[in-house]
Amino acid sequence: MLIVKNLNSGYGKLQILFDLNIEVPDKGLTVVVGPNGAGKTTLLCSIMGIANIFSGEIMFNNIPLAGELTYNLAKKGISYVPQMGNVFAELTVLDNLHMAGYLMPRDEAKDKAAQMTDIFPVLKKFILRKAGTLSGGERRMLAIAMGLMKNPKLMLLDELSTDLAPIIAEKVMMEVSRLRDELGITILMVEQMAKRALEIGDTAYLLVSGEVRYKGKADSLLHEPELCSMYLGIKPPADKKNSYALPTPEEGSE
Amino acid sequence: MTPWMSSGLIYASGLALTAGSVTLIYITTRTFNFAVASMATIGFYVSYTGVILYGGLPYKYYPFVIIIGSIVGLICYYGLNRHLLRRRAAEITLMMSTLGYDLVLLSMIQMYTDFLTKTYKLFPRRVTMNIYDFELFGEKAAAFILPFIAIVFLMGLHMFLTKTKFGVAMRATIENPVLAGASGINSDRVYLVAWVIGGGMAALGGAFIAMAQTGTPVMGMFIIPLMFAGAILGGLGSLYGGILGGFVIGMTEYAGVFYLAQRFGPWVLGYRMGIPLMLMAITLLIFPRGLAGIPLVKLFGLLAGKKRGVNA
Repeated sequence: MLIVKNLNSGYGKLQILFDLNIEVPDKGLTVVVGPNGAGKTTLLCSIMGIANIFSGEIMFNNIPLAGELTYNLAKKGISYVPQMGNVFAELTVLDNLHMAGYLMPRDEAKDKAAQMTDIFPVLKKFILRKAGTLSGGERRMLAIAMGLMKNPKLMLLDELSTDLAPIIAEKVMMEVSRLRDELGITILMVEQMAKRALEIGDTAYLLVSGEVRYKGKADSLLHEPELCSMYLGIKPPADKKNSYALPTPEEGSE
Repeated sequence: MTPWMSSGLIYASGLALTAGSVTLIYITTRTFNFAVASMATIGFYVSYTGVILYGGLPYKYYPFVIIIGSIVGLICYYGLNRHLLRRRAAEITLMMSTLGYDLVLLSMIQMYTDFLTKTYKLFPRRVTMNIYDFELFGEKAAAFILPFIAIVFLMGLHMFLTKTKFGVAMRATIENPVLAGASGINSDRVYLVAWVIGGGMAALGGAFIAMAQTGTPVMGMFIIPLMFAGAILGGLGSLYGGILGGFVIGMTEYAGVFYLAQRFGPWVLGYRMGIPLMLMAITLLIFPRGLAGIPLVKLFGLLAGKKRGVNA
């Protein structure tokens, strides 16, 4: 669905990504993990036309995206949920949803907003409240709902769990896997909560200093002790030094 | 009305519009627009031309003032600002480019006044517009009509920004351009509309100010510090703050001059601009975010029954 080929990009004259190659398969959850400053957010910004692309290709369903203006990408079915500032704080929750469905006819946007409040019932309670008054978790739900408003073919999610309490972050992660499983949306997710993201993801990329260090199955990356401890801060369990596997149902019930 | 109040209301209504124009263009495009000076002067000359050549009251030419001002704003956006925004120019570059545009406009105004002088044998370099006004309840009618027009204009703007899809999209772009772009909102169109509305506001403000002060080709250049002062007093981030700031600056100038001249003598007149600028400096020392940051504004919001967290 999305292919990034030999991408070199950054901001102004500062290059952040170096010859990056990434493929996001259809209807899958692709996870990009890596330490701070690895260029994870820059990757999403490059796809969205926010960062400067120096060379390389970004193809979405065989259509080149490089050089495209940000607002045109929404028309192509790409939805982006930024890490920070992912809601309009000064607008009501309802206006936020309507703005996310800006390209739709008014009636369709209204129906879609009602549908979103069914999927995320927490938003129904605060529908006329300013988004800036919502809690961190509620804001994140609103941000995902806004991303979904556009009926996206591809969603780009940038560090959804940042600043959230672990229990809320877990809820957000469950929502993300539900989007893939129930709605069949293709997702490219950048995440700091690496362990949980790799558990729910299909394909993973480990980004370090703007370059890909690992590419493969998401849960297989959890079996790379060196990469995990060096770049992701994931330590092997005390009793199983070389295993990062999730507990089996039997183990879990013990 | 006290003697200063009638002229003060006219002048402050004009400054409110021009300061609102500065703020609107700044919060949408990050451009501190120096061309607001000549835009205001152009507004005055449009109303003057209408009255001189076609007769009647100045008010009936205000729709043309808004249209011409909007066109001047549109040209500035398409000819200059848009290209610089696309190249992600720094704020200082954006600001200085409008200074260049202002000088071009100023030259054109000078040429236009020469044209009026030579062709129609007029004296357009010093114009007292209020002689074309009529009296209402023993005062200049402009003291009632212009604040009313300003309020209607601003209510219309408020309705546009809160009740229309494009207006809400403008507010969304002002708050978060990246997210607005990702939502499919065409920022290019938002910036254009900001320049068109801002140009119209500045020109209308200039036409108002000329009803209180002598209109000259360099009128805007003399008042521009106060236009900016109004926008800064309002906090620069809030359109309504900027409009209120402009109004407060205008009223303070007239009230301050009147009462201080009574107390200390007419020499105070020479320092009339210093009075509102001092008020701005003192306000910012106490409330660094300007009028929009004064908790009192929130308090009024609470008293009016608004929900918690509402910003002025």
